[in-house]
Amino acid sequence: MAVQTIVIYPDPILKTLCPPVEQIDAGVLQLLEDLVDTMLAGPGSVGVAAPQIGVPLRACVVDVSKNRHGKENNHGRLLMVNPEILEASGAAVMREGCMSVPDYTGDVERATEITLRFTGPDGALQELRATGFEAVAIQHEMDHLDGLLFLDRITSLKTGLFRRKSYK
Amino acid sequence: MNDCRKANLAHFAVTIIGKDRPGIVADTAQVLYALGCNVEDSSCTMLGGEFAMILIVSHEKPFSKKRLEAEFAAKNQGNGLSAFIRSLKDDEVCYREPEGELCLVKVYGSDKPGIVYRITRELADRQVNITDLNTKLIGSPAEPVYVLMLEAALPQGMTVEDASELLQNLKRELCVEISVRLITPVSL
Repeated sequence: MAVQTIVIYPDPILKTLCPPVEQIDAGVLQLLEDLVDTMLAGPGSVGVAAPQIGVPLRACVVDVSKNRHGKENNHGRLLMVNPEILEASGAAVMREGCMSVPDYTGDVERATEITLRFTGPDGALQELRATGFEAVAIQHEMDHLDGLLFLDRITSLKTGLFRRKSYK
Repeated sequence: MNDCRKANLAHFAVTIIGKDRPGIVADTAQVLYALGCNVEDSSCTMLGGEFAMILIVSHEKPFSKKRLEAEFAAKNQGNGLSAFIRSLKDDEVCYREPEGELCLVKVYGSDKPGIVYRITRELADRQVNITDLNTKLIGSPAEPVYVLMLEAALPQGMTVEDASELLQNLKRELCVEISVRLITPVSL
């Protein structure tokens, strides 16, 4: 167990374009483990990206299987290195909150279907198609790898910002 | 952060409203900036031809409401803006997070008296707490259409389906479209 402290905005690492992971080594495996532990420790969290625990590398984890929006439709626990979206379609708005931007939430439009390619912890390249909430969660975590927060995605301040409640 | 830990701060609710023109926000912000006030929370919008600002501002104590009123009175003299200022107690500054689900209620249909009243009364009677509300009269003068959108925190135990069911009778009675959607934030 190595739960890491979540980096909070305005820490500049959250606005950094993260470089790709060169190779899966012990350090990267430890990073993925830390990301999972930190995700499980967060209240209702369904994903964490490496820069959120202070590591500027393209790696993130997502698991929506325990969430009410994702429990019917998911790929379980996803450990992703150098993830890329190959195709995206559809659009839906959800009110998102982020552990790195406490106290606020915002309405963000995201694709509802994505085809994704990433390297898994075993070093093998994987492709999968994610839909619904899992697709939303993956896009949110991947945004962190590009230095983007949901605050960058909000289109309307009027109804887009709302102090968040406890998570389900 | 909007919590109660800053005991040395005085808080005020400031409402500014007047015929819209460029510069209302800048003029208001100038008064507050010059006094050393912080705008902690605000919502400003066009309502008809009026521009309406509601702000929660803070200032390090000691600082009086009279001082704020005097500065706005001087700035707004002859420009048609009204300013109303209220001192806030500590428990009014604290934001209390809603416990239950958050939902978005959309209502629209031919305009008639009582849409806002009937919808909000029904919700209030069930302890549904409205956190945001906007209405607009659209359509033509011959066939005006009323649109209402509100966000509300449901009491614990009430689901979005319950809330939707609650409004079904009004949908028929008022001949309007009513939809209720879950917007409780997701943690990512």
